[in-house]
Amino acid sequence: MRTTFSPDQLKDPMVSESEAILRKCVHCGFCTATCPTYVTLGNELDSPRGRIYLIKDMLENNRPADEKTVKHLDRCLSCLACTTTCPSGVDYMHLIDNARAYIEKTYDRPMMDKIIRAILVNVLPYPKRFRLALRFAQIGRPFAGLFKQVAAFKPMGAMLDLAPKSIPSDTSSADPGTRPAKGKKRARIAILSGCAQPVLNPAINQATMDLLNRFDVEVVVPEGEGCCGALTHHMGREHVAHQSAKNNVDVWTREIENDGLDAIIITASGCGTTIKDYGHMLRDDPEYADKAKRVSELAKDITEFLATLELPKITRDEEMIVTYHSACSMQHGQKITNHPKDLLRAAGYTVREPAEGHLCCGSAGTYNIMQSEIADKLKTRKVSNLERTKPDVIAAGNIGCITQIGSGTDIPIIHTIELLNWAYGGPKPSGLK
Amino acid sequence: MSETKLILPTSADELVDAVKGAVKGGKVIKVSGAGTKDVVGNHVAADIEISTTKLSGVTEYIHSELVMTAQAGTPLSVIEKELAKNNQMLAFEPSDYAQLLGSDKEQTIGGVFATNMSGSRRLSAGAARDALLGVKFVNGKGQLIKSGGKVMKNVTGLDLVKLLAGSWGTLGIMSEVTFKVLPRPEIMKTILISGLSDADATSAMAKAMGQSTEVSSAAHLPQSVSGSFLDGVYDGQSITALRLEGLKESVDDREKRLMDALSEYGNLSVIKTEQSAILWQEIANVKPFIGRDTIIWKVSVAPSEGHKLVAELAKTTEVDAYYDWQGGLVWVSLKSDHYTTHLRQLIKSLGGGHATLTRATKDVRSEVDVFEPQPLPVAALSARIKAQIDPQNILNPGRMSQNDDVMNKAAV
Amino acid sequence: MTELIKFLEPNAQIISKRSSIISGLAEILPDDCLITDERELVPFETDAFIAYRRLPLAVVLPETTEQVAEVVKYCHEHEVPIVPRGAGTSLAGGAIPQEDAIVIGLSKMNRILDVDLANRCAVVQAGVTNIAISQETDSEGFFYAPDPSSQLACTIGGNIGMNSGGAHCLKYGVTTNNLLALKMVMFDGTVIDLGGKALDMPGYDLIGLLCGSEGQMGIITEATVKLLAKPEGAKPVLFGFDTPEDAGRCVRDVIGAGIIPVAIEYMDKPAIEICEAFANAGYPMDVEALLIVEVEGSEAEMDAMLDKIIQVAKTHNVKTVKESQSAFEAALIWKGRKSAFGATGRIADYMCMDGTVPLSQLAFVLEGTAKIIEKYGLRVANVFHAGDGNMHPLILFNMNDPEESVKAEQAGMDILRLCVDAGGCLTGEHGVGIEKRDLMTHQYSKEDLDQQMAVRAAFDPQWIFNPSKVFPLEVREDA
Repeated sequence: MRTTFSPDQLKDPMVSESEAILRKCVHCGFCTATCPTYVTLGNELDSPRGRIYLIKDMLENNRPADEKTVKHLDRCLSCLACTTTCPSGVDYMHLIDNARAYIEKTYDRPMMDKIIRAILVNVLPYPKRFRLALRFAQIGRPFAGLFKQVAAFKPMGAMLDLAPKSIPSDTSSADPGTRPAKGKKRARIAILSGCAQPVLNPAINQATMDLLNRFDVEVVVPEGEGCCGALTHHMGREHVAHQSAKNNVDVWTREIENDGLDAIIITASGCGTTIKDYGHMLRDDPEYADKAKRVSELAKDITEFLATLELPKITRDEEMIVTYHSACSMQHGQKITNHPKDLLRAAGYTVREPAEGHLCCGSAGTYNIMQSEIADKLKTRKVSNLERTKPDVIAAGNIGCITQIGSGTDIPIIHTIELLNWAYGGPKPSGLK
Repeated sequence: MSETKLILPTSADELVDAVKGAVKGGKVIKVSGAGTKDVVGNHVAADIEISTTKLSGVTEYIHSELVMTAQAGTPLSVIEKELAKNNQMLAFEPSDYAQLLGSDKEQTIGGVFATNMSGSRRLSAGAARDALLGVKFVNGKGQLIKSGGKVMKNVTGLDLVKLLAGSWGTLGIMSEVTFKVLPRPEIMKTILISGLSDADATSAMAKAMGQSTEVSSAAHLPQSVSGSFLDGVYDGQSITALRLEGLKESVDDREKRLMDALSEYGNLSVIKTEQSAILWQEIANVKPFIGRDTIIWKVSVAPSEGHKLVAELAKTTEVDAYYDWQGGLVWVSLKSDHYTTHLRQLIKSLGGGHATLTRATKDVRSEVDVFEPQPLPVAALSARIKAQIDPQNILNPGRMSQNDDVMNKAAV
Repeated sequence: MTELIKFLEPNAQIISKRSSIISGLAEILPDDCLITDERELVPFETDAFIAYRRLPLAVVLPETTEQVAEVVKYCHEHEVPIVPRGAGTSLAGGAIPQEDAIVIGLSKMNRILDVDLANRCAVVQAGVTNIAISQETDSEGFFYAPDPSSQLACTIGGNIGMNSGGAHCLKYGVTTNNLLALKMVMFDGTVIDLGGKALDMPGYDLIGLLCGSEGQMGIITEATVKLLAKPEGAKPVLFGFDTPEDAGRCVRDVIGAGIIPVAIEYMDKPAIEICEAFANAGYPMDVEALLIVEVEGSEAEMDAMLDKIIQVAKTHNVKTVKESQSAFEAALIWKGRKSAFGATGRIADYMCMDGTVPLSQLAFVLEGTAKIIEKYGLRVANVFHAGDGNMHPLILFNMNDPEESVKAEQAGMDILRLCVDAGGCLTGEHGVGIEKRDLMTHQYSKEDLDQQMAVRAAFDPQWIFNPSKVFPLEVREDA
């Protein structure tokens, strides 16, 4: 696509990177078809091609972000389905990242929007605060409907709606320390505890550690590790996100340099996408560029790592139909499509896939809070596609999707790893009564 | 007919001159090929008749391109003979109503396209209009107009080709046509199911068309007409016919699969290439109703509705009928001419379609709309189109719609 | 923007009434169906023919036929030009707006209204994507046959507008051959229904006339399309050749031998490299020309046809024959082919030509294309529907280089003239749009075009629909 940036504009590395991305787009329009918001709203402005054009126009004209542009860019789920579809190889992920940072710098958001964002940024990434907030939410839940009636308060209502009815109390899986391999150690990995997942469902990492230990992998939960930064990154808070990234890079580098790491295992694909991008995020930071690159190279989704272990094949006595929901961050962000299904099949489950598997469930980080109306429509659509496959259980590899879809169906939705752990000798997942 | 002067142009130039002459002299033209379907449509009160029969001959035929160009008045048999030499054919297998309509003439290729004459394979291979790639025609101003071309895919400009196809000489006089041809299938087999009711036959045909066996034609011949086909070997029982064509290995394989899929419908048998060819030609040429002294309607409805139409008609009048195109083409024979409105209302109530009075006496034809009357906005639009191509309304005026004149005025 | 192609001078009077037009439209449409903010209009300034762009006066995204009708009626009364838009994937600039026009986008009308398997048809709104119909009916064993490469995104309304084809139309025909009924809003807001579930519409074949009329005659809001039973199986097979001539002659002789596969697609070396980079389909990289030949049916049927094709290919020195071994491999082969245009974006900007030529002229036109490209000092990748002679040379250039952009356009026009001179036509499936408009006089006489424009006038006497497209500006004075 033709662009009209001046040499002066191109001196800014953000602009020059964006320009290179824009030049690859040929405006073919394929991306519109697989974009959840375009499919829902039917407006090209709410499609990747429309957003690319809006970003191009904004950057070319050195124009501060405006309300309309922000509206359409905010509606982007960052599901990255467009990047799977795009034949031209347009790096939409980094283009929208750049645009979000640009918005953060040049746009003054309405007060309520600022408050909500501040709450999210200051609560979600911190497990203690998040747990406390959930307690409050349980008290506030009856008021969700009230909040939703006022446009500016909708996100509050959505937050209350999403808060789980009960909050697990055993959070020991996130306690720092080393869990030794059961037999002779074949690998040593660090596991990301993360921020929201250990609060909402600590059993996921517990299952991961149990399974890995059983297959002779030593697991370390390093001291000092925190939120991966995805949440702030998607809100355009570049600086805060980079701080989170640097913190984790430091923690893992320490582990790598002390006892060595074969992989950094992530059980929430949303976080995985971001950690795999640390190398890119910190590429211009001389102190961190190399370390971040090494961390990104070691980062693996749990299913990617398990695929290398060649787990034994199992047959189940009783058929269990598992419909696999592929999180966007898994299939589009990290392009992991077959490992989870192959692992589930090897573990004896009958695996089905829903129609429109490429479409987002509407979770998308904090999207179901900020854009609850679109998110609800996507949830309904996703749940209906999933239910049509008549599964005994739905499997997914991302806590966001699990929370979102779980709030819309009675069919149990369980993390892939919990099903695998169960099949390979672990306890039955508590979600499967 | 004796009072109209017959002009037989031998070249496109002469055709242009003839029409220009008519424009100048304010003469109304009856447009014809060989005239085999003269008795279809409303009567045209013409001053002169221009027939294309002397515009004859194949102009270009490169068989490896699957395309032929011929002058409009070329007899169909000449075309078919030429194609047969290269083992090719017209995929839409034009039907021939000459016998049905009591004509001893032989239809022209121009006539085939001008009336969109498609046979049984229309169900799968498309109609005559689908095979027509290009035309040269003289419009009502006496201009020679080219539309389309000689390649399979062409979206350059408005598709006047489709407009001319099936316009019954009301929009222009074709001088040359270019059309797509296809290789003749290596073999042909027809699976016959005997003894089905019209309703069961409809479901059997729908099922067959829903299989991955590429059934190319599907017809149902109720007991009342089945004796007319293949020298009466199936007299006394209804016959549902499903045709398979192509490479031998392929047809054999599909035959097996189709027989399996249809086993629930009972008595299945198979006839081979030669017999099949005869059967499908007889179906297309309306064999059962040849020589009968009845009113013949050609009715097109959704395939699932054809048999319902006949059942409803039978409640009020004596009707004979058979079905082609999976049940969507119904040939209806009525003893009485009083049921036009009833028939068209029934069609409407069954989800729509159209009925053409294909054979009737001149008196009957002068009293009813031979072609399906159109809703007002569509009729007005059609009249405007005609006015844009034939501003003086001299080409077959009124043949397709008795209201042409009225509509013309409305349009201008 | 080279501006070799002119748009109609925008009507200043209409532009001056912009705010009153917008309030008029606002009375007809809900808020989120009307776009008037200049920044929000920018993304609608072009389609997939990005060499040209014009800002529209406003964009409307109606949700019902009634809304479309009211908008059209309003525009008719106020003489406001209308540019219809489906998914905006036109490669000929068919959906590029102009300053005095409103865009009517059908993207919100994306519902499948009825699937009728007994009558093998589906009733859909115009904004439904091509592939959505096949996806909806796949589990029942049916599909919608025309498959333009952009089928993932392009809409049925747009397919009808351009009479779109695709790889598989060698066997199944193009849009016009697969269409049963239309609902259309006419110039004055009247809604008409044409055709139905019965074959062959009564009266003039207006469906045939409207299909491929490029949004010049009305706004189609609904269509009934044919469904076909899916074949038992399908298998794309790769045939690699050392020279384009061998490949071209092989195509001619396969068809000439009376073998009609479902599809015969051609790719030259640059195209193979581009597509392989995106799809990893396993195309042979050591050949100069590749044919993708698809056969269908049961294993026995496919083998029988394939044997015959291989025999012909051998007489033309075929170098590699590679059958896809699984449905997954087959899908990759088609994914690569169908993404060819977009994937070109990885290496350069491109312009895609669409001329169709008789099969006997394929080799000649390929050679001629190479000469033209060389003359302008550009590069080309060829990827096209060989079975029906529909050529798609992709002219590669740098759009940020104004001089090269002009050359690319000129080379394209030369190639299209060559196609017409070889007995073919300007466009096989992409439409004339703005791109090929001024070449129409190369294919048609003034009288031919006058007749087409006269028929157009029967539908749109004021020329409010897509006014700058299809007909060269200089032949319009009588119309």
